[in-house]
Amino acid sequence: MSLSLKLRSFLRNLFFSHRVDADLEYEVHSHHNLLIEENIRAGMSPEEAQRAARMELGGIEQVKEEVRDSRMGNWLHSAFFDFRYGVRQLRKNPGFTAVAVLTLALGIGATTAIFSVVDAVILRPLPYRSPDRLVLVKERIPKVTPDPIPVCAPDVLHFQHENHSFISLAAFRGDQFDLAGGTEPRRVHVNRTNANLFSLLGAQPILGRVFTPDEDQPTVAILSYGLWQHEFAGAPGIVGRSVSLNRQIYTVIGVLPATFIFPLPGMDQGDAADLFIPIAFTPEELADEGDNFNYSLVGRLTPGVALAPANADLQLIAHRIQETYPPEYRSHVILGAVALPLRDTVIGKSRTLLLLLFGAVAFVFLICCINVANLLLTRSTDRQKEMAVRLSLGASRGRLLRQLAAESMLLTFIGAALGLAFASWSINALLGLMPPDIPLIHGVGLNPAVLGFTLGLAVIVGLLFGIVPAFASSRTNVADSLKEGGRGTTQSPQLHRLRGALVVVEVTLAMVLLVGAGLLLRSFQRILETQPGFHPEQVLTASLSLREPHYKEDSDIQNFYERLLQRLQNLPGVPIAGASSDLPLQAGWNHLFTPEGYQPPPGASTNLCNHSVILGPYLQAIGAPLLRGRYFTDQDNSSSTHVLIVSDSLARRYWPNQDPIGKRLKWGPEASKDPWLTVVGVVGDVKQSSLDVETSPHTYESFWQNTTPSLNVALRTSNDPASMASALRSSVWSIDPQLAVAQIQSMDQVISKSTTPRRFSLFLLAGFASLALILSAIGIYGVIAYSVVRRVHEMGIRIALGAQRRDVMRLVISQGMLLLVLGMVIGTLGALAMTRALGSFLYGVRPTDPVTFVAVVVILAGVAFLACYIPARRATRVDPMIALRYE
Amino acid sequence: MNPEPTSLLQGTLDLLILKSLATGEMHGLGISRRIQQITQGTFVVKPGSLFPALHRMQDEGWISSFWGDSENNRRAKYYRLTKPGRKQLEVETERWGRISWAIARALQMP
Repeated sequence: MSLSLKLRSFLRNLFFSHRVDADLEYEVHSHHNLLIEENIRAGMSPEEAQRAARMELGGIEQVKEEVRDSRMGNWLHSAFFDFRYGVRQLRKNPGFTAVAVLTLALGIGATTAIFSVVDAVILRPLPYRSPDRLVLVKERIPKVTPDPIPVCAPDVLHFQHENHSFISLAAFRGDQFDLAGGTEPRRVHVNRTNANLFSLLGAQPILGRVFTPDEDQPTVAILSYGLWQHEFAGAPGIVGRSVSLNRQIYTVIGVLPATFIFPLPGMDQGDAADLFIPIAFTPEELADEGDNFNYSLVGRLTPGVALAPANADLQLIAHRIQETYPPEYRSHVILGAVALPLRDTVIGKSRTLLLLLFGAVAFVFLICCINVANLLLTRSTDRQKEMAVRLSLGASRGRLLRQLAAESMLLTFIGAALGLAFASWSINALLGLMPPDIPLIHGVGLNPAVLGFTLGLAVIVGLLFGIVPAFASSRTNVADSLKEGGRGTTQSPQLHRLRGALVVVEVTLAMVLLVGAGLLLRSFQRILETQPGFHPEQVLTASLSLREPHYKEDSDIQNFYERLLQRLQNLPGVPIAGASSDLPLQAGWNHLFTPEGYQPPPGASTNLCNHSVILGPYLQAIGAPLLRGRYFTDQDNSSSTHVLIVSDSLARRYWPNQDPIGKRLKWGPEASKDPWLTVVGVVGDVKQSSLDVETSPHTYESFWQNTTPSLNVALRTSNDPASMASALRSSVWSIDPQLAVAQIQSMDQVISKSTTPRRFSLFLLAGFASLALILSAIGIYGVIAYSVVRRVHEMGIRIALGAQRRDVMRLVISQGMLLLVLGMVIGTLGALAMTRALGSFLYGVRPTDPVTFVAVVVILAGVAFLACYIPARRATRVDPMIALRYE
Repeated sequence: MNPEPTSLLQGTLDLLILKSLATGEMHGLGISRRIQQITQGTFVVKPGSLFPALHRMQDEGWISSFWGDSENNRRAKYYRLTKPGRKQLEVETERWGRISWAIARALQMP
């Protein structure tokens, strides 16, 4: 048949189906009449003739159906009818439809939301050109730390000039500068970079240009899209304008596109840069051999060079660098170097968390599917009679299957559409909760990839839902179904078992989720119970950074802070004001030190401690208790003995059972020429990097003996700390109106920020577990309630024969509890196997924590009991007379 | 119901319908009786198979239909061969000849 003919008949059948139908009807009728006439001519009576004709014809509707089936366009046509019929069926059962659609929407929505994060963070390539050839080059000093560390400045040049494995290597270093010129000075993230960074990453400016290789003077700047928009209102004439950074004038030479976000978390250089300036190493930086490992190096591997030879190449260079170190240093520091795939360093940490959450949401999704499948099974049992009637009226089984599949598809797609709305709402909520160390979240959203995922999910689920219950109902035995009179049908034992099995699976999944959430909850509880070692209530903090060239000499810096401290201490509502180079929970630097007369036990690790420079009564302001000796006083200045306050754990470790007051230590190794510092006080341990990390030894030095340009102010306030923010700002600006007052926050906020990642995983997992609990309760309820309805007759007989209500109740509840216990046994085994994946997310709780397991069993059993109890009570209320009258 | 015999039967039925229409236009019952007659009762075509076949063949373009009056002045739908239909009859006849020759040969083999 030619194509045009095919198309014509297709269209005819599709669009003129009414006319075609009427024509067919007329034709079959005329055929019928012709048959009757023929029969009469053959000598039959009119009645006989009609009967014979009908017999031969075999049913007008069947003939019409056969013709329809054989016609082109028929499939589409009947699919349309299937859907229309499906809509009617769903509207006829609004309760069923609402529950099924909402359950599906919940499952699909939650899964879509989490997938959108997984897609943006894990699945998509990094937003740079050919990102799979990009690596981060790091150095290693295994004796000091097992983890690779950033590179020191002179080594950057060695790696750049001596390697044979990279097309190019670009160094960069994150910093924070004060940007002035707007309404008030603002701290911005600046990245000092090599000129080749942009070509290496494939970034093209949308305005102006990037650095030229010989642009060594740090007087030009490239803006990020975000800063250009927010600080300069997207002014098109921005290129060529001047901006003031740390009171120095820079000329804007270009603007980068919105898609260029650099550096990402995991690259060691802090938050994404607001602007870029040339790295322009100073002579002092380049003289810092073997010290200040602060610079990151990103590289693009030469085509054809694999990671292993590149690593060997770098290692060789590191070895040559070490050879140039002075002999006493060489024995202490064994330098290595390594290239890490950029992608791994960026998403490595987040991958586990996100996969874990995706696994959890997949469980919830499965539970949703099971509930809907159970609903559909129930319904298909109820509809056996309808199916039987339709079969006996001549519908083919294939046709019925298709019909049922269409209904399930319809259900799933409505659920998916609603789910997308739910997802778009929850993605926003999710982004608000997201900890800052998850990279690339700007790509999270309902983009085509995510929509495709949802569509695929809906199609698969719709088909499965269509096939499984459809199979159950299309096996209907016509005669049996019709025979049983008005009351319909019995539930086949296989179907009953299937539903029971589904509930068991559901309980298993819920159990695993609940145990996971329980363990996280217990960890979080443990962390909140952890003593931070200070009193965070009513403390306001802010960060100040005095930079060259305005603050060149120590005296300039001392002058500023002296005046500031005076003003802050005179503020009403501020009993204590101090400042420190590091705030608690904001991880400071580790310093190598040598205690006087300390004999390290064999195999001891290097002596490292956190070190803070403090100004004024900082320790009193945060409420760190003095255990021995004294706090610093005004007499501890540049002309007096160099003194130190140490933490309790340092004193205990290095001078056990001795009085630490008067002991001495110095920076660097044994041979270092640094002066000895005398301990004058011991304070309690303050959590320095995070609540869930063991406190490391800590030392404090007076600002007047070691002047530091960047300090964090800490004010103990009599009222709400936030109310003092503007007083703090104006105090600073009354001394220096161009200085940015950054990160104004209460100490409580500092603590809460440090727990954001845990809060995020806990919140989500707890949410999923609660959903799982509720959904599986609904699932159990559904199955038990249905079986009670099915067995009303039996219950009636039992009660009539003298069964006590208690017996009936026990019968029903034990049926549900059997499923529950089975599910919990499997769930416990599953949880034991799977909670090991939680390992790094737990704190102070073992993955097999018996308290958690028992609590989960109790909660799950309680909720499930309730889910069985309600239908069981209904069963006991069965009036035997009414139940039996059904007969 | 079973697909295999149907497909064989379908080709056969098409051929028989084409053949009976070769002598002139006819309505459905006429075609059915004609087939019964020319196959000496071997094939009795029920409306359930006849009408789908007629409609399909019409979609294929082998036959065309029109409403006319029967010998007793009853309205009936008549079918007649189109040009492609005649062509198809030749093709099918030739094909059938080959098949039946081949089958006969096969069955005669010792």
